[in-house]
Amino acid sequence: MSRAYRITVKESDTRQLKAGDEICTQLEILEILPPEDMATLLKEELAKRGFEEQDDGTMVRKDGDLTVKIDPCSGEVSVKAETEETVSQEAKRDATGFNDVGPSEKSLRDRVKDQLKADLDKKFEQEQSRLQGKATEKLEKHLTEIQPEISEVVNQVTRDALKQKAQQMGTVKEISEDAESGSLTIKVEV
Amino acid sequence: MTRAAVPPRPAEPDGPRQVSKFEFNLLRILRFIVGHFPPDQGMQLVRAAVTRPECLSQGAVNLVEDTLSKACVLFLVRQGAWRNDKYLRESMPTAGRVWERIPLDERSLSFSRQVLEFLIWATAEKVNDTKTAWDAAPKTLTPADELFFWRAFDAIRTDPDLLTVFRRKDAFRQNPLCWITCPGDMAEGDELELPDFAPLFQGQPAVLLECLQPHLTLRWIRSERMKGQISDWKRMRQQGRAEFAALQAFLNAAANAKRTDLARFVLRTNAAVFTSEMTPVFWTGGLQGSGPPRLADRLDTQRAALAVPRQMELIEGWQQQALNVGYFDEDYQSSQMWKAEWEAANGNRVAARARITVEMLEPLRGPVGAPPAGGVPPAPTDNSEGSPG
Repeated sequence: MSRAYRITVKESDTRQLKAGDEICTQLEILEILPPEDMATLLKEELAKRGFEEQDDGTMVRKDGDLTVKIDPCSGEVSVKAETEETVSQEAKRDATGFNDVGPSEKSLRDRVKDQLKADLDKKFEQEQSRLQGKATEKLEKHLTEIQPEISEVVNQVTRDALKQKAQQMGTVKEISEDAESGSLTIKVEV
Repeated sequence: MTRAAVPPRPAEPDGPRQVSKFEFNLLRILRFIVGHFPPDQGMQLVRAAVTRPECLSQGAVNLVEDTLSKACVLFLVRQGAWRNDKYLRESMPTAGRVWERIPLDERSLSFSRQVLEFLIWATAEKVNDTKTAWDAAPKTLTPADELFFWRAFDAIRTDPDLLTVFRRKDAFRQNPLCWITCPGDMAEGDELELPDFAPLFQGQPAVLLECLQPHLTLRWIRSERMKGQISDWKRMRQQGRAEFAALQAFLNAAANAKRTDLARFVLRTNAAVFTSEMTPVFWTGGLQGSGPPRLADRLDTQRAALAVPRQMELIEGWQQQALNVGYFDEDYQSSQMWKAEWEAANGNRVAARARITVEMLEPLRGPVGAPPAGGVPPAPTDNSEGSPG
């Protein structure tokens, strides 16, 4: 006589998930002085704001999971957000078999295990998407926060370069800066 | 102006020529490719199979030769060869219609047997579903063959199955004319295998490029205006990346060959598009949904969409170089011609508008909330549902 039986299979897994996002762009720095001098001014200004020089000459600042890297020679900026989480997931499936027809209990169990692996992969994919969204959101937020600072750096470097250029042209008689409007007036006697 | 003896025409037979069913289909496919047969019917013939004969009749071959010679010449004349225009010849501006500027022996089209073999294959096989291989090594093709194969690719590219087959063949994949007219259709995936554009600027290919300048301009203008209707992020990215890579390689080859006159279609396209201040929404406004999850991919897609305006930076560099060429320098005449072209297209204004539009996409540029340089208001920042991210 045919007898039905039910099996329950559980699978669980723990994985280290990583997600990241990055944008690269170019600073718009006017070539008031030769490129090497402009690079030096940019490096000095970035150093004042907590950037550290790396072996390859780039300036890097880390804020937790966020990294800002600026190449003073080319003006290339990259902002990267990385996030990492250890995620555990569990899946369970029931299956019914018959002792006289159909697959054996072992093959039934193996088939269910394969299905569970696919279920777990799907769950981890969803977690990966969630993590990716988190990293992108962090990056977008940081870009909004860092944009005024980058503009200030570019403005300051431009101001310093103009002052140096003025000194090369002649005797600087007067320098007046208006912090509110951002204007800079230099009187040079040639 | 150079005049040479007209080659003798073969004697016309009495009455219409007799051709077999296979040859009839072959001739109709040829006429479809050169634009003298309805495209939907021509596509059906290419997708159908007919038993291949041992060989073609002399009458059929004569008809193929006649069609090729007349149709290709008619096409080139209509697309721009008739224009009284100025192009560089040995670094000197030379004016006139193409038959006034170029000697007959340099503009005589010569087709190889590769064209006939392609036509026989396209007629005999179900092109979209055949295991019979056909291809032509690019080095064996004449400039006229490249022109023909470009027309063939252009004729079938609206059919996705035929497009997939054709773009895997070297005769099309390595054809520079295909890459500067429809680069988006040449790319498969993220890897781009660009051909060498340098041969386009020598000999007869350069003459063909002169004839095609108005055609290329219209084509690219149309393509740019249709970008606002592309809704798929992946397609936009693929098309834009292919366009950018192809145009950059083409423009660099033009500069190396000192034939910047053959790149005037890029300048004229931008001039036609930038008739006023523009925002990137003109190109990306059709993109649906929030796009790829990563900001890097979304930005890459948006930058790719502006592939053509981004070429203005390189072209503006040519203008700067032309301004520095002195009266006694070697390239004085060609630089003067370029400067005239630039002024006619109002290049300074076009370049400024293109730069402003391209920079609108760049993160970290300018103070938050302030309009970019030039007074153009920033693109809307609040994303409504379904708008690109």
